[in-house]
Amino acid sequence: MNVFVLIIEKIVAFGETLARKHRLLPWVLAYIALLPLPYILASLFSEYLINLANRACLFILLAVGLNIVKGFCGQVTVGHIGLYAIGAVTSAILALEPGSFGDTWGFGLSVWVAIPIAVLVTALAGVIVGLPSVRLEGAYLALATLGLGESVRIMIAVTPQLGSSTGLMMIPPPTIGSFVFESFTSYYYLVMTTAVIGIYFSFSILRSATGRAFQAIREDTIAASVNGINVVKYKLLAFVLSAVYAGLAGALFAHMPPGYLHHNNFTIIEMVTLLLMVVLGGIGNVWGGVIGAIVVTIAYDQTKDLVFYFMDRPIIIQPIVFGLSMVLLVLFMPRGIGGWIEGFQRNRRFIKQSEERLDGTA
Amino acid sequence: MNIMKSTFASLLVGGVALASTAAFAGDIRVGITMRMVSENGQKYGQMMMDEIKAINDSGGINGNMIKATLMNDECKSDKGVANANKLIFQEKVHMLIGSTCSSVSLPIVDVTAKAGVAQLIPHSTNAKITQKGSEWVFRVPVSGRYYGGVNAKYVGDNIGKKIAYICAADAASVNDCAAMQGQIKKQFGAEPAYIANVQEKEVDFRSHMQKIKSMNVDGIMVAALAETMARALMQSYEAGIGADVRRIGSSSASNAPVPRIAGDAVKGVFFTAAYAAADQRPIAKLFNAMVKEKYGIHAPDHDFSQAYDLVRIMEQALKSTDLGLDSASLKADRTAIRDAIAGVKNYEGLASGPISFCAAPTPQCRDGNRTAVLIGYTKGGENFETEVLARVTMPIEFGLE
Repeated sequence: MNVFVLIIEKIVAFGETLARKHRLLPWVLAYIALLPLPYILASLFSEYLINLANRACLFILLAVGLNIVKGFCGQVTVGHIGLYAIGAVTSAILALEPGSFGDTWGFGLSVWVAIPIAVLVTALAGVIVGLPSVRLEGAYLALATLGLGESVRIMIAVTPQLGSSTGLMMIPPPTIGSFVFESFTSYYYLVMTTAVIGIYFSFSILRSATGRAFQAIREDTIAASVNGINVVKYKLLAFVLSAVYAGLAGALFAHMPPGYLHHNNFTIIEMVTLLLMVVLGGIGNVWGGVIGAIVVTIAYDQTKDLVFYFMDRPIIIQPIVFGLSMVLLVLFMPRGIGGWIEGFQRNRRFIKQSEERLDGTA
Repeated sequence: MNIMKSTFASLLVGGVALASTAAFAGDIRVGITMRMVSENGQKYGQMMMDEIKAINDSGGINGNMIKATLMNDECKSDKGVANANKLIFQEKVHMLIGSTCSSVSLPIVDVTAKAGVAQLIPHSTNAKITQKGSEWVFRVPVSGRYYGGVNAKYVGDNIGKKIAYICAADAASVNDCAAMQGQIKKQFGAEPAYIANVQEKEVDFRSHMQKIKSMNVDGIMVAALAETMARALMQSYEAGIGADVRRIGSSSASNAPVPRIAGDAVKGVFFTAAYAAADQRPIAKLFNAMVKEKYGIHAPDHDFSQAYDLVRIMEQALKSTDLGLDSASLKADRTAIRDAIAGVKNYEGLASGPISFCAAPTPQCRDGNRTAVLIGYTKGGENFETEVLARVTMPIEFGLE
């Protein structure tokens, strides 16, 4: 594990050196480093892993977005998956051709028009999801947002125009001229680019005055209010920014081939999986959200078919493993992987400084 | 530097190890994705694997072994699509079997069509699956468009036309409900007396049942997944609706949890399915005995029979192909398997009627079984009993107009 942390440290130090030259330089280099990934995965492993990487990128967007409201601003929300659903379904019906399949709505807009509109609609929904946070906190807010999130799913499930039980199908992929983003590799460049930009903006938010206001609210709402921070405004802003990420991730999910959405994609299980990503990565830690999304996506993929037999009855292991992981994480690693790495780095810095001080004394 | 080197070496070794999980040349690789969250799902999944093992034990297909990979899609479309992609692009399967749920099979049709891999559907009944125009998809079960017609004809002729509907939100039930309503209207000109659209896992139907009771209907159709249907049937009696009002089930009424949970409330319920455990043919009796002995199932439903038939159809098709079975011939092998399945004609197994496919990518060619069997429950509980009421073969174009 120390090796892992040392590698991270080296990368972070290298990034900091580059950032001193230009703020965007480490991001550009990271982006360039990620460009050949599909070819490496396809030649060393299999094409399927590109598809897995695409899903991981979508979850990174979701987790990083959830971190804004939950990690930066300290608001307990369990309705994020509902926002993801709103982004996905809105973009899908805007891009579907009218009357393309049964009763479903369709407006035949370009995907590039549908996605921004879907993000806007989700941002508005973010205000609605965020409104309870003005009066509620903790478990009460969690319950309220859970209800809103689940209501979205149920509404999709019972509305034929939104796909109902059959789902929305034949959702078109994005195109540029005659080029269609329909292969795993081409879609990777779309979602990876969006994820990198999303992470960058998340850091920008964290380091801005808005980010500091979020953190002040997280630490003590009353103290923040006394210090002149408009708590209501910033709480709602956190929900809206978080919704923008969810809407974007949802829209990209909708247009990802084979272009199919079903209300079962947005259940409480998906919400818990998303929470696990954020908790595992470290609440409030941007890189933690990224690591959590990658680790959970891979772990989910690798464990979902594990079964053991108890008294001759099959038991699927994954939900037990995921549930237990959540409990153990909260008990023994409440700050997640990101927090653990930060702690390790802090200790190393302390030891190093102490050694330097001792050397100076000698 | 040493750290970097050892990390890179570990990644490389891991990569090679993972890459080697792609099966060896010489095997016929078959991917299966199904709903494995229920006890029944696990058991018919296991039955398919056991039947494939039996084929291998008896010499395989023209000397080649079948290497099957079974995956659970939890009846969720994103997981089904991920499974299909994994099986096609990582396991490099020659053909794909799946899925149980229509909402999962629907998007997988697009995945297999794009990748050029034959897809044999074991259970999904939603009519739209074969209406997408994919030349790679084949359906073993009876399509929902046929079920609706058979149910409606029997109900209109024998029970009455004033029907109330409880329709759950899963894809198959919605399809069954809509097909029945459409056919009752078309064949007898009758509108639904009452429609309740409920959640997939609804638990409380009492308010609906009270309303239905006050309407003096001839019958109640409950279209829902097994556990939901069982609850609705029980609550219909609790609400005081007598046995003279006939209960009509959707195709999932054939699933064992329905009579097991509903108990006496299942008596008199009838439904259309692709297999009747009360079938008196020797092949059916042998099958029932085998499933009871090996998997502890009192009377197998059509999910079991269709899974079994599918393996036999696959075996028949694979035997008629000459496969290269190396990486260079993968595309040609996949095409040959598709063409071989399209050549299956009048397969007679456990299914309610003969199963035939043909080359055109149309529902007429790819909905293999056109015969539905009408089944009635005569006893509920663990040791439930059924009877065959009728066996109806529908015209090939039925439900497409």
